[in-house]
Amino acid sequence: MRMRDLAYETASALDANRGRSLLTVLGIVIGISAVIAMTALIGGIKQSLVGELGLNQARLVNIYLYLDRSVTLDDAHALTQMMPEYEAVAPITYASAKTTSETKSFDASVVGTEPVYFHVMGLKFLQGENFTEQDESDGALVAVLDQGAVRNLYGKHDEQVVGKTVQIGSVSYRVVGVIESDMGGSGDSGTAYIPFSTCAARLSGSWDVSGMVGLASEDTDITKIVDTTKHKIQTYYNVDDEAIEDGTYIYTMQSVIDELDTMMGAFQLIMTAVASISLLVGGIGIMNMMLTNVTERIREIGLRKALGARSSDITKQFLLESVCLCLAGGVIGILLGYLGAYALAALAGGTMASGLGLGDTTITPAIDIHAVVMATGICVLIGVLFGYYPARRAARLDPVESLHYQ
Amino acid sequence: MLPVIDIRNVHRIYESAAGYTHALKGVSLQVSRGEFLCIMGPSGSGKSTLMNTLGCLDTPTSGTFKLEGVDVSTLDDDELAELRATRLGFVFQSFNLLPRATVLRNVMLPLIYSDCPVREREERAVRALQAVSLPEAYYDHRSNELSGGQMQRVAIARALVNDPAVILADEPTGNLDSATGEMVLKTFRRLRSEGKTIVLITHDPDVAAWADRTVHIRDGKLLTDEQERALVAADHTIRSST
Repeated sequence: MRMRDLAYETASALDANRGRSLLTVLGIVIGISAVIAMTALIGGIKQSLVGELGLNQARLVNIYLYLDRSVTLDDAHALTQMMPEYEAVAPITYASAKTTSETKSFDASVVGTEPVYFHVMGLKFLQGENFTEQDESDGALVAVLDQGAVRNLYGKHDEQVVGKTVQIGSVSYRVVGVIESDMGGSGDSGTAYIPFSTCAARLSGSWDVSGMVGLASEDTDITKIVDTTKHKIQTYYNVDDEAIEDGTYIYTMQSVIDELDTMMGAFQLIMTAVASISLLVGGIGIMNMMLTNVTERIREIGLRKALGARSSDITKQFLLESVCLCLAGGVIGILLGYLGAYALAALAGGTMASGLGLGDTTITPAIDIHAVVMATGICVLIGVLFGYYPARRAARLDPVESLHYQ
Repeated sequence: MLPVIDIRNVHRIYESAAGYTHALKGVSLQVSRGEFLCIMGPSGSGKSTLMNTLGCLDTPTSGTFKLEGVDVSTLDDDELAELRATRLGFVFQSFNLLPRATVLRNVMLPLIYSDCPVREREERAVRALQAVSLPEAYYDHRSNELSGGQMQRVAIARALVNDPAVILADEPTGNLDSATGEMVLKTFRRLRSEGKTIVLITHDPDVAAWADRTVHIRDGKLLTDEQERALVAADHTIRSST
């Protein structure tokens, strides 16, 4: 029997039972659409999360040191030399100071750091540009403001401010650039960034660093970098395990994402269980219908055998029928699943996003080709699994008895 | 010449819940090429069992059955299926057409099991339908839209389509009125004149009259026409004397 004939026979048999077939595959449709809608929504949430954090954020490592000795800028540089697993490391010192423009003033957070900081943090310049290494070594009086600071100083966040002069503490600085507000840090309250040396000399009065931010190299295993970094700091300062555990706080965005993954995983598990039950029930429905089908068509089976069909031809015919049924259910399920995901995202996406702390981001369901392939595979598997017994039963029928079956 | 059907001393014993049934008790039968043979017998005489044996749907418990010289008892299920697909044509009392399929599709059905190239199928089906004189206008009708006589002619066309060694017809006129029945029998007669071998089973002597030769089956044993007449005469004598 040729594939083409098999396909024709299957199509005409399914066509004959259209209404019944559609009802039977409902279980499969529900199961598959649940799986698809779930993966699409979770994928969408992850995507908007990663989009929100920026691409660099997954590789970002925050290092805070509370050792019982000071960590100077020189120490930070020496440590950086020891850690080739980082693409870049920026030392940070924090301060705060009253900051004033021609018209307004506010209490700004001040970050003293090196020019590489903005690259590490993945912060984009909206106006002007970065301060330079030269500014850093000169202790130049230059500043980069974030949008929050611009709004606090000039009333609106998109005011053109490059070249203007602001007073931070008691000294005047020239504004060289404006960056977007750092969501992960001080948020919208307003931050001014100045060279580390300038901050040390003018504001904090010390060359100690408060911490460092590092950008792990692309090929670094981010899950191990926390331990590696701790170990290197321990080696540098030659302190014991307890001191290093108490004296360092290192975290990566990866750990935040992992935490989310764990939460989503629990949700996914519940949904998978629901979907599996639905698919199981659907599969039993398919088997039941195929058994009815076989009984109804006993004479036809007998006839086909008399006309020369081998047992394997009959098996193939009925097996293909159940596989096609399940596949049809799968296709409908995939379409309904994505439709449902988009509908859910449109109706409740805002609530979901703010619930996850994503602000008013919109969630766009992710169409994942893997999920589609997997769903299709599951359908074929169910079709084979639950269609095999009825198909074998059909194939084993005795042609003489079946021909005279009433 | 080698007989198309050569059955020698065939026994068929069924095992059922009621015990053993000895349906065929040493049947021997030869059918030559181009012969129109009729097997007559009352119900329960074993004629259906004989038919199923000839149709390779059932295998003898003992004895030999050679179809065109091939010993059928040595073949496995798939080989028997192939034999049915290529060397045998069946015509049933209740037509057994696929009701929703077209006439053409019904006639082409055996071809999908005999590896016939797709492009040849329609041509062969049309030729078979011409052989049973079904008007072309009906080719695309669904088979359940036809009359009984037309259906049986479609069924005969289906039996013909593979150019089989033997056409086996089981009470082909049983569900037809006498006029349409005669038309179907004329079709068989014409096929026989074209050289086809036909084995027809019936219990109706009027139908048997169309055949070249008639054998009778009683209690699982074959009788010639003469033996049957003697048996019937004896039976008659016994009845009239009591």
